[in-house]
Parts: sequence; structure tokens; C-alpha cells
Amino acid sequence: MRLYFATDVHGSETCWRKFLNSAQHYKADVLVLGGDMTGKALVPIIDDGDGKWHATLLEVRTDMTSEEEVAAFEDRVIRRGYYPFRTDPANLQRLSEDESHWHGLFQEKMLETVEKWMRMADERLGGSGVRVFCCPGNDDQFEVDDIIDNAKTVELAEGRVVDIDGFQMVSTGWSNRTPWNTYREEDEPDLSKRLEAAISEVTAPPERVVYNFHCPPYRTGLDDAPELTEDMRLKDAGRAVKPVGSTAVRAAIEAHKPTLTLHGHIHESRGNCRIGRTLCINPGSSYEQGDLLGAVIDLDGKKKVKRFLLTSG
Amino acid sequence: MASIAGQAPYEERSLFVRKATGLVRGWSVQDAFIYAFFSINLITLGLYIFADGPFIPKGSLMLAILLSGAYLVFQTIVYAALIAVMPRAGGDYVWVSRVIGGGIGFTLAVCGWWFINWHWVPIYANILAKEFFQPLGAILGWNGFVTFWSEPKGIFTASVITAFLAAIFISIGMRGYAKLQKLCFYSGMIGLLIIFGLLIFHTKNDFIAAFNHYAHHTYGSKSANPYADTIKHGTYPGAGKLAGVAFGSTLLLIPMIAFFNLWSNWGATLYGEVRGASDFKKNIGAMAGALIATTILAVIFLLLIAHTMGWNFYNSANNAWWSGTDQMGGVWPYPVTLASFFVSPWLQFIVILLMSLWFFGWVGTVFLTASRVIFATAFDRILPEWAARVDRRGTPYFAILIMLGPSLIISYFYAYNSTFTNWTLDATLVIAVTFLGSTVAAGILPWRKREIYNASPIAKYNVAGIPLITAAAILFLAFLAFCIYKWLSDGVYGSNNHGSLIYMGCLYGVALAIYIGSRIVRKRQGLDMSMVYGEIPAE
Repeated sequence: MRLYFATDVHGSETCWRKFLNSAQHYKADVLVLGGDMTGKALVPIIDDGDGKWHATLLEVRTDMTSEEEVAAFEDRVIRRGYYPFRTDPANLQRLSEDESHWHGLFQEKMLETVEKWMRMADERLGGSGVRVFCCPGNDDQFEVDDIIDNAKTVELAEGRVVDIDGFQMVSTGWSNRTPWNTYREEDEPDLSKRLEAAISEVTAPPERVVYNFHCPPYRTGLDDAPELTEDMRLKDAGRAVKPVGSTAVRAAIEAHKPTLTLHGHIHESRGNCRIGRTLCINPGSSYEQGDLLGAVIDLDGKKKVKRFLLTSG
Repeated sequence: MASIAGQAPYEERSLFVRKATGLVRGWSVQDAFIYAFFSINLITLGLYIFADGPFIPKGSLMLAILLSGAYLVFQTIVYAALIAVMPRAGGDYVWVSRVIGGGIGFTLAVCGWWFINWHWVPIYANILAKEFFQPLGAILGWNGFVTFWSEPKGIFTASVITAFLAAIFISIGMRGYAKLQKLCFYSGMIGLLIIFGLLIFHTKNDFIAAFNHYAHHTYGSKSANPYADTIKHGTYPGAGKLAGVAFGSTLLLIPMIAFFNLWSNWGATLYGEVRGASDFKKNIGAMAGALIATTILAVIFLLLIAHTMGWNFYNSANNAWWSGTDQMGGVWPYPVTLASFFVSPWLQFIVILLMSLWFFGWVGTVFLTASRVIFATAFDRILPEWAARVDRRGTPYFAILIMLGPSLIISYFYAYNSTFTNWTLDATLVIAVTFLGSTVAAGILPWRKREIYNASPIAKYNVAGIPLITAAAILFLAFLAFCIYKWLSDGVYGSNNHGSLIYMGCLYGVALAIYIGSRIVRKRQGLDMSMVYGEIPAE
């Protein structure tokens, strides 16, 4: 069985399109998206009147004078993983002053996009025989799960054990605590209980088990993130990195020895490592550049993973 | 500020960012500056290579430092631009392999950041011996100890110390090493200010008296006037000119000085999300700031040397040391040692210790980038999986081993075989060739990775219709081409001898062989390596 894994696309439509095309590109039987599907930012495109618009992306202001230019700008924003919206100065001011107002808009755009992505999956992979799993990550709101659960082609993996070609995959997008207080994070003991509850449903032998846990295991090199100061700045200009992975995830891997574990969460920590015989992979993420980092893995049910390759697509 | 008709101006918000992992408020230019500043290390690399000035006698060292320092700002633009377009990918290997090709990327990065750093270990060790062990030994009156570090076994011992120090710093991790570097930076700067103060507040006569005193008492000179005899034995045409106008000769000094000022890109910061053009400018600020600050400090140091010691004396002392006619018992006239002659031996000892932090804060760099290249190439499955393995403490023990082991063997040959010592003069050249690859990648990036480039925050920067990244790459390429041409064609740099070229060719041959071998092995394992870099269609 050939499995393609990518993660942390964070709203990048380019990455999502590539993810859907990866089945054909890598001749994969199964696609798994590891979590953090949704974008992080809303970009207003402001109507200046008389058919003129302006917006700022990556601190670069763009002035637009035609519908084509606005559409092209929207496309750039979407490719980068952000959500564009058209507005006028008065509405923008109202949004800026009312957090709940723009949070509502954010959620609307986010869920709209996930729904659109599910339809794209139906169009591209419906009836192809390729199974596609998504497991929302700690940055994804819970409403995302319902949309995936209702999708035709994409299957929701969160908290479930799924059977794939004689293998079992158990997934969760929950992580240990982060400085950002995100949607799916909890203390290590609670995370441990969650993992054990999910793992207890597994019936296959370890060499036929895959863990798809968004959070990487602690101190494996897959979890090195820049240390932050109290005011959320990068300490020592990003050079002071420290392990931020989960001890619960590591303990689960050490205890149950699955053949393969798939992780994301820490975009900078692309790599692979072994915990005992278990191959652990974090392909990293370069979603902003539209570069889909991933891993192609061949499994044959023997004690070790047959083949794997980290890809940069 | 924006405004709505009939209302007060308001702050227009251009981005709404929700709570999400990885969103940080930025990073300190000052912190990034420190690492770049340490990489273009004035005290270790700078003072060490300035001593080679007499080999190009008519050139103006000061002018060469100023010209190259100003020109190398283009290098900082190239690297800041590469980071802005492909952040987090991090490093020459990834950029070249993704933009030009895997084989070229691997060969250049492995030679320039891994293999050649084995050869930098004895060079670092030489600096450790000359700037730490020998001056301290001389102050303590341990003559045998001082001599030891000039002998092959001393050079090899210093190499072993250097290699193990670098390995330990890699083992403690970047977090600990970053703290150590910061401490070394501030303490080392205090040391440098003391040196500047000593040179400012003393006259040439004070120096002549102090030098004559310590040349006798500490270094065993038999001369009645060691200062005068240093000039007498070491002087050469041009030695007395601080800022001569022999422009051609001054240009020839630039490939030599590159040994010191070609490394500002080590300070680049690769992290950060949902920001844009300001990060590009900050990276330039940190790298170019460090380059310019180091250049200014170098010029101040040289001016103070000229003022207090005499420019003729400084050059003559270096020349006399090279020719074995010095008045310091064969000990390199380390400018810090010379400047500390104004104070008592115990204060000299403390000053040398303080200044040694410029070395200890920098020594980890000899393995640091190599370990990243080893990891990146192992993750691309070119090197075996074990090369990137870490233990439970997160220590990359195999990467350290494949840095440490060969570097000790190379250091042995460096110490005991003078022919091999000459081959290590390629050390700068090989890294420059790696930079050349990255610079070519930067130059063609707007066309080779059009989508990624157009989506980057630097896409709007153009010079006369040419993308800024390409324009800066062309200018930096000219610098590298000039240096590489001179290194290969001019005997004065010591790297154009036949043996050296063959040796260098072998390094590239080994790297290429590893790459090709790996492709063959992986193919037999059923792995299609073209998948590593092959882009998935997005439409």
C-alpha cells in the first residue's frame, strides 16, 4: 500500500490542489492530510470608489483598477492560505473595532473554503478508488469536523480507527499546550488519556498500525521550534530552538510500537526519526510558498516500513 | 492613516489574524546582528588574515576592507531575498537543489558546508593556539608551553580541542549555544573596548617602550631595540602606507580578506509567518549591519594600530614573523597581545581571556551548518537515515561523529604534513563555490520558481526592470567570480597549486559519487528519487 501524507496546509488552496493531485503524481492509494487545514489570516480588499481598490499583502500595498486585477489579487491571497474579502472603508472600520464581528466573518470564510475544498475533492477523486482522510489539527475549529464528516470523498479521521488495505490508522489532531491557546490542545495527562482511548480500539498487530497524531513526539528532532520570549517574539532571532512535542505522544509510541507515525504541527521540523522500530515522520510545511511538503510511504505489513521518501512538491 | 468622508482619520487594518500556532510578533534585529557579527569575526578571522597583508605589499589593507565590506552588502541582499522567497527551507542545499537540481545542490553543499569544514578545524585550531594558548603561556613564562603550540603535536592538540569544543556546543543544542554566543559577544566587546582604550590613550613612544620591555622580558628578544629591529628586519616596500593608492594591488587583497568578511549570511533568520517585506529588510539590516559594523571596527582597529604602534611596525612585525626574523620568539604578533603591553602581565592575562571569547563564541560554527546539511540531505534520503538520528536528549550523535572523525584525521595531516597544510588554503574557495551556486539559484529564481517568486514579498522590488534578487545576484556573482579566478590563477593565495586543485577536485568527486551512489542504491530499493524535488501540478 502506498500512502501519501501531507500536513499543515493552513488554507493554501495551491497546497490543497496539489494534495488532491498527489494521488496520481505519486501513484498513492491513500491520501492523509494531517491537520491544520484552515488559514490564519483575513485580507481586506478595500473599495476606494470609481472602480478602484487597494489591499496589502505581506506588507506590500497593491492598488487595483479593474475587476481582473482584483480577482488576480484574490487568487494570490487564496494561494497563500489567507482569506480575501471585499469591503468598504466604513465596514472595515466597523470590523476593526468589533472583534466578534470579524471573528464571525473569519469563521464564515474558513468554513466556506473547507466546503469548497470538499467539493473539489469530490470532483477530482470521486470514484477513483483513492481514499482520502483529513484529521483537523489544533488550529482548526470544531465546525470543520462536521463539514468533513458530511463530505462524499474525504473521510474524517479524528478520534477514529480506520481500516485501510489491511492496516489500521488511528488519528487525532489534538496537541499538548501551546502558547497560542488553540482549539484542540490540552495538558499532557489529558492528551495521554485521549490517545490511549483511541489506541484501545486498535485490533491490528503493531506492524499493521499507523498513528496519525498531529503533534510530534517529544525530543525527537521533529518537534524543534523557536523559543519565544514572554511578549511572543522569537528568542535569539529564532536560533534558540527547543523541543515542544508531546511526551504523551512519545509514551504512546514507545508503549505500543506502531510501524509508522505521522505528525505535523511544527512546520520547521521537517524530518524523520525512529523510536525503536517505529518510523516517525514530520514532513514539515511550506504552505505560504504553495510548496506541498509531504511523505510517500510504502507499507507491506512487515516489521519495518518498506520504503519512504520526504517530498517537496 | 485612512479616512472616511466626514469622519476622523483611522488606522486602516490590512490583516486580521486569528489565534493559531506559530504566529509570533517578530524577532530582534539586534539578536540576528550578533550572530552575523560573530561569523564575520574581526578578532579571529580578521586579525589572522590581516597578518597576510605583506604578501601583497603595495595593496592598502584598509581600503580593501572598506571596498569589500561595502560591496558585500549585495551578498546580504541575495541571501535575505532567498529567505524571503523560500523561508524556513533554510540554506544553500535546499535552495540550490530546488532551483537548479539535486545533484548540484548536494555536491556544492556537502563540499562547502561539510567536507571543507573538516579542513577549517585546524585553521580554527591555529587561531586558538595563536590567540589563546601562546599569549597566555608567554605571560605565565611557560616557554615550553608556548613553543608546543607551534609544533605539529601542538597544532594537532589544538585541533582536537577545537573539534571537541565544537562537538560539545552542537550537543548542548542551539538554545544553549545561542546563550553562550550572546554572553561571549557582550564580554568580547568589553575586551575590544579595553583594547581600543589602551590604544587611544597611549602614544607611540609608550608603545615602543612597552614593546621593547615585554619583547625582552616575556618573549626573550636579545635585541637592544626590538621595536627598531622588528622594522629593520620586517620592512618591505609599501609597509608604511596605511591607505596607499595602488588600486590594483588593493583589489588583489580582496580575495584574501574574503576569508574574513564573506560570512555575514550566517546571521540570517529563517523563521516567521504572516509577515512580509519587513522581514526581508530586517534580515538585510542584521546581516549588512554586522558587515558594516565589523568593517568599521576593523578600520578603527587598523587606524589605532597605525596611531599607537605605527603602521610600518605592524606590517613589519607580521612580515618578520613570516620570515622568522621577529623579536617575539616566533610568536605571532597578535595585535591584542601588543595592545595589552601597556598594562601589567596579570591584566594582560585577563584581557587575553576576555578577547578569547571571540573565539569560544564562534568555534561552534565550524560544525553547526554542517550538521544542518547532513540532516537536510539525510531527510532527502541521499545520506542514510542514521545520519540524522538523535538520541533521547536530542543530540545528533551520528552527525557529530561524521564531522568529528574526519576532521581529526584531516587535522593530523594538517599538523604533520606541510603539503597538506597548503591544500587547506582552499578552505575559503570551496565555500565561495557553494555561495556561487546559491547566487546563481537566486539570480534565476524569478524564472525557475515563478509562482513562488511572484507570491513573495520581494516580487515588487526591481532595479531597472530586473528583479532585485537577480540584480544583486549578478553583482555578488561578479565578486565571487573575481575571487575564485584570483584564487585559482594567482600563487599569492596559495590555492592554485596542482596538488590543491586535484585535492579539491577529489572532494567534489567524492560528493558527486555519494549522490550518484545514493541514487543507484535508492533505485534498487524501489525509491524514485525524482519524487523528492518533482513539483506536483496544482491545476
